[in-house]
Amino acid sequence: MNTYQIHYLGLLSDRRGLAHETLISQANTAAELYDWLEKEHSLGLLYSQIKVAVNDELAAWDRQIHDQDLIAFLPPMSGG
Amino acid sequence: MKPVFQFSLSDQPLESQGLELSLRDPQAGAVLNFEGRVRNHNEGHRVRKLEYQAYPALALATGNRILEEECERHGVLRATAVHRTGPLEIGDVAVWVGVAAEHRGAAFSAAQAIMERLKYELPIWKKETYEDGSSEWVGPDNTSAATGLPHEEVPTWRAELLEIWISPANDFRGHHGMPRGNAGITRVSEIECVAGMGLKGDRYFGFKPDFKGQVTFFDAQALDAVREHFDLPELVAGEFRRNILVRGVRLEDWIGRRFRFQGIEFEGSEECKPCYWMNEAIAPGAEDFMKNACRGGLRARILSDGVLRELS
Repeated sequence: MNTYQIHYLGLLSDRRGLAHETLISQANTAAELYDWLEKEHSLGLLYSQIKVAVNDELAAWDRQIHDQDLIAFLPPMSGG
Repeated sequence: MKPVFQFSLSDQPLESQGLELSLRDPQAGAVLNFEGRVRNHNEGHRVRKLEYQAYPALALATGNRILEEECERHGVLRATAVHRTGPLEIGDVAVWVGVAAEHRGAAFSAAQAIMERLKYELPIWKKETYEDGSSEWVGPDNTSAATGLPHEEVPTWRAELLEIWISPANDFRGHHGMPRGNAGITRVSEIECVAGMGLKGDRYFGFKPDFKGQVTFFDAQALDAVREHFDLPELVAGEFRRNILVRGVRLEDWIGRRFRFQGIEFEGSEECKPCYWMNEAIAPGAEDFMKNACRGGLRARILSDGVLRELS
């Protein structure tokens, strides 16, 4: 079991009802973690619609994640 | 010579006068700046205000990388860009981009490239609040962040609404390990849909915020298939405890998409997966049979208010 800091942005923070949380999880990849969160909280966005950042850098969905990592889920961006 | 560039975020109003100082360069024959401002309308909706939320650590790294790459690509001397965060009013500057180059061609092309990339790559999110009080997270090119669809292009279902069913309480959910409930299910000729809440009078009305299954659609073709497969010609749709029986639409196509039906806007959230109660309520084997082709139906959120009516 690992402890992850989760950061939800934009639409995902509304869907989750908060922007940050600490989670103890068996997930070993960003995708596994998102699957679990999606099921638990009905986030309603698909992998293809969002990006994931690990420790403030964009990462691939199959990227291994480690204890104490900061995982951020990013819906489609809309700057400008 | 190495270009000089800086990207930053600001929660304070942006003023060109101060920012232009960063572009001063004796070699620069072309200096330009661009202000992206908040408009009072977006895709036909009247915007009252908006708010930007950033992911600062990633936004600063991304913004600076964009400036560095575009300065080198276009051969400009200096570039500065700032993006606002927090609440903004109509007319406020949301993003400021300034470029200094030896000649105008490089300055124009660099500024345009920087601006385009900031829109798509910068981890910043815009939430618009409209005149009617509703609000929405906006995606790139003013699409909906939830669906990726433009505001105005929500397709309409060309489907028939055959039956409407509601039930005051759960018969299956929460009854694991116990007998099913028997709250019953009632057929009605019309039903009020309330955005974000559900069907008035149904068990899932106001169940929890942003619930995925505010309404469930069920395909008459799936009902036909179950009737035939299990030799139950008299089986009624209400036994499945889905709300809206329709014909003429492939429900599986609408997972994760918005649509209009009888003028009301919905967003398909997921397949309404059959559970083991189907074996008890319908026939042994019904759960497995319904796992194919979205036969269990479509769960959806309600995005606008209105009344659904059975075909008369």
